[in-house]
Amino acid sequence: MEFRHVRTGVILGSLVALTGVGCATGQKTTMGSGDPVADRQRLMKNNGANWADIQNKVKAGNVEGVAVNAEALALHAQRITLLFPEGSLTDKSKAKPEIWQKWSEFQAAAKNLENRAGTLRDQAVAKDAAAVQITVTTFGRDACGTCHTPFRVPPPQQQPAQPRS
Amino acid sequence: MKLRHVKTGVVLGSLVALGLASSATGQSTPKIWTSDPVADRQRLMKLNGASWADAQAKLKAGNVEAVAVNAETMALIATQITVLFPEGSLTEKSKAKPEIWQKWPEFESAVKNYGMQAEKLRDAARSKDQAATEAVAKEFGRQACGACHTPFRVPPPQQQAPAPPQQLQPR
Repeated sequence: MEFRHVRTGVILGSLVALTGVGCATGQKTTMGSGDPVADRQRLMKNNGANWADIQNKVKAGNVEGVAVNAEALALHAQRITLLFPEGSLTDKSKAKPEIWQKWSEFQAAAKNLENRAGTLRDQAVAKDAAAVQITVTTFGRDACGTCHTPFRVPPPQQQPAQPRS
Repeated sequence: MKLRHVKTGVVLGSLVALGLASSATGQSTPKIWTSDPVADRQRLMKLNGASWADAQAKLKAGNVEAVAVNAETMALIATQITVLFPEGSLTEKSKAKPEIWQKWPEFESAVKNYGMQAEKLRDAARSKDQAATEAVAKEFGRQACGACHTPFRVPPPQQQAPAPPQQLQPR
């Protein structure tokens, strides 16, 4: 008999506690549109566009101008994992299920982008053209590729790098 | 007696539920920012300033379409601003005015306005319409930045009309 009352209490307490958590975390997610696939595709498109801008600037000899785009990549990179909640794999998504199967590896790959973008930013701020060149040359493979290769379904017929607008 | 057992159960249940919830959110929502919201928002706003400076430089060089990436960066960054102003985060290093928290809904709408103006600039740039992009850019300092900075930020010393483009510093 007493057990039944404790059980009732356990259920009640759990519900109240979880409702509280739901409200608290619900507030944090107001940054997004409610559609994580659309949100992350928008973020990644801007990453791609910043990367294209970096390449154009380097080609034009505007090394210092790379810093703003690299910092955008570094800040956006911090948000990536938040935009991949469990179960957000829809028809429109190019995400591989490996993201959630190897979550800590996915987190490390996103962190790697943040770190490499930070390195590129610092080299650009220092106007070190040679260092910027080297980082840019390997960025597609070492920053984008280390996450896209294991965790993204490749776009149809994708050759090395795609032009972006 | 019965009530006491229910109460024990409530406490037990709450603890277990919170433990589970925190480990669940711990996995899916890693912390993005540091524990210093002032430093975080200053870093974020520096990127906004640098993106705006880059957009202006491109526009001056006649490279209209390339403005889009900066405008979209600003629009995306705009979605992050209000979370970086938690109540009580007004330190000596901060240029925030207490009005932010006194008029929170107005602050929120000023931030939302900023995001919308950035999207307007982005769309004009994507259409490659130089005149339209220049028209949005001309008003941007006042209508996008100023609409929030004037009521909610302590002006930098000797600041005249438009703020000078901010430089990114090595970290």
